[in-house]
Amino acid sequence: MPDTQWPRYEVFKQDAPGQPHRSIGTIHAADPELALLIARDVHVRRPDCASLWVARTDDIFSMTADELAAHPDWAAEDIPGGAVAQTFHVFQKTTQRRGMTFVVHTGDVQARTAREALRLAMQRFPKPEVFVWWVCQAGAVTRSEPEMESSWFAPARNKTYKQQAYYGETGARPEGSGAGDEDDPHPE
Amino acid sequence: MGDTHEGHHANFEARIARGERIEPGDWMPEDYRRQLIRMISQHAHSEIVGMLPEGTWIPNAPNLRRKMILIAKVQDEAGHGQYLYHAAETLGISREEMLDALLEGRAKYSSIFNYPTLTWADVGMIGWLVDGAALKNQLMLAQCSYGPYGRAMTRICAEETFHHRQGKEMVVRYARGTPTQRPMVQDALDRWWWPTLMMFGPHDADSPNTPVLVRWGIKTRTNDELRQEFVNETVPELLACGLSIPDPDLRHDETTGNWNIGPIDWDHFWQVVKGNGPMNRERLAARRQAHEDGRWVREALAGYAQRQ
Repeated sequence: MPDTQWPRYEVFKQDAPGQPHRSIGTIHAADPELALLIARDVHVRRPDCASLWVARTDDIFSMTADELAAHPDWAAEDIPGGAVAQTFHVFQKTTQRRGMTFVVHTGDVQARTAREALRLAMQRFPKPEVFVWWVCQAGAVTRSEPEMESSWFAPARNKTYKQQAYYGETGARPEGSGAGDEDDPHPE
Repeated sequence: MGDTHEGHHANFEARIARGERIEPGDWMPEDYRRQLIRMISQHAHSEIVGMLPEGTWIPNAPNLRRKMILIAKVQDEAGHGQYLYHAAETLGISREEMLDALLEGRAKYSSIFNYPTLTWADVGMIGWLVDGAALKNQLMLAQCSYGPYGRAMTRICAEETFHHRQGKEMVVRYARGTPTQRPMVQDALDRWWWPTLMMFGPHDADSPNTPVLVRWGIKTRTNDELRQEFVNETVPELLACGLSIPDPDLRHDETTGNWNIGPIDWDHFWQVVKGNGPMNRERLAARRQAHEDGRWVREALAGYAQRQ
C-alpha cells in the first residue's frame, strides 16, 4: 500500500522573542505552506511560541560528533566554479542534558555548499563539545510571519484548562472543600 | 577504534555508560534499533488508538467546560502519536510502514484501549488511572538513551500531566457527588483497576526484554517497580475518596510500606493482547474507516503539491 509518504520537515520553534529557534520535532506535509500549518497543529498546542520555522529534512546537512569521527574526510568535495555564496543557518546540540530540545540555532555563515558551511561554522562557532551539527540554507526555510502571532499562537494562552496548575491540588481532601464546592460554576 | 564492529560496539556501550544520548546518524547495534522501533511504534499506535475510547464521549460531555477539556485531551493524544511516529522514523522505518502494520492487525498497542467506555465516569477514571499509569512509564522513558524518544517523552509528559489532573478532579468530585454519581464512579473503578495494573506489563521474571533494555538505558526501571510505585501512590488516594478497590487480597505491609496486591489474571491479559479483548475488533475497524475516510484528503493535497 504505497500511500502518501509526504516529505518530512524539521520544525523549529522560538519560545519567546529574542530567543533562538530550537528544533522540536518533525512533521510530514505535501508542501511548505501546509508544513507550517501542520507544525503549528502538532507542536504548538501550548502557549509558548513566538515564531515557527520549517525546512525539508532533505535540505538539512547533519553531522553528529560520532559521524565526524568516523569520516575524517567528510569535508572533501569539488565545489563548482560558478557556485555563489549563500546564507546558511547553523544549529548545534551542545548538551547531553535531558530535555525537550535538540539542536539550537547558533548563527549564520556565508558559504557555497553545505559542507563548506559546516567547515566555516566550526571555525566561527567553536564550543567545548558539539554533539550534533546542522546546516541549512536560509532560503530553504519557511517561516511564520509576525502578524500570524495573534491568530496562530496567542489563542493557546486563554486555554488555561490545558495547564495542570488549573486543577490545583486535586488530592482527596476533606468534605466540602475544592472541586465539589457548592458555588462551583459548572454543575454536572 | 571505530572501524571494526567490535570497536563500534565498545564505543557505543561506553557512550551509554557515560550517560550520553544516541542521536540519528550515530552508530548503534542492530538490536538497539530493532527494540526501539518496536517500543516507539507500539507507543505511537497506543496514542492513536487511545483517542477512540474517550473520543466517543465528546458529544455527550455533561457541560461545555468538560467538553473543551476532553477535546483538548484527545487532540493532545493525536499530537503525541505524531511525535512518536516521527521519533521512530529516525530509526529507518517509514510512517506508512507503521500505519500499515497497525491497520493490518500486525502491530501491538496498549491493551487498555480494548476495553469499552460505558459511562461518563470512565473518562475521569481513565484520566486518573490509565494516564497516571502511562505517566509513570513515560517519565522513565524521558530519560531514555535514544535522543528523539527521550525528547518526545519529555514533551508528552509535560502535556500529559493535565490529562491526569483533570481525571483525578472528576473522580474526586463524583465520589462525593450525587447518589447517581457515586455508584457510577465506583463501577468505573471496578472495571478499570485491574486492566490499569496490567498496563505495566508482565512481571519482571516473565519480561525477557527488560535486562537488555535496562543495560542500554532505554528503560531505567522494571515493570514491577513501576507498578508497585503506582499502587502505593494511588491506593491511599482512592480510599480517601471513599471508593473501594476491587481486590480482596489488597494489604498494606507495615514493614516495607508497600500496598501488596492480589494475583493478576495474566490469562485474561494475554487473551486481550492476542486480539480477543472486548473491543479489539471495533478499535481496528474504526482506525481503518478513518484511514479510508481520509484518503481523498491525502490524494487532493498530494495532487495540489504536484501542481505547485
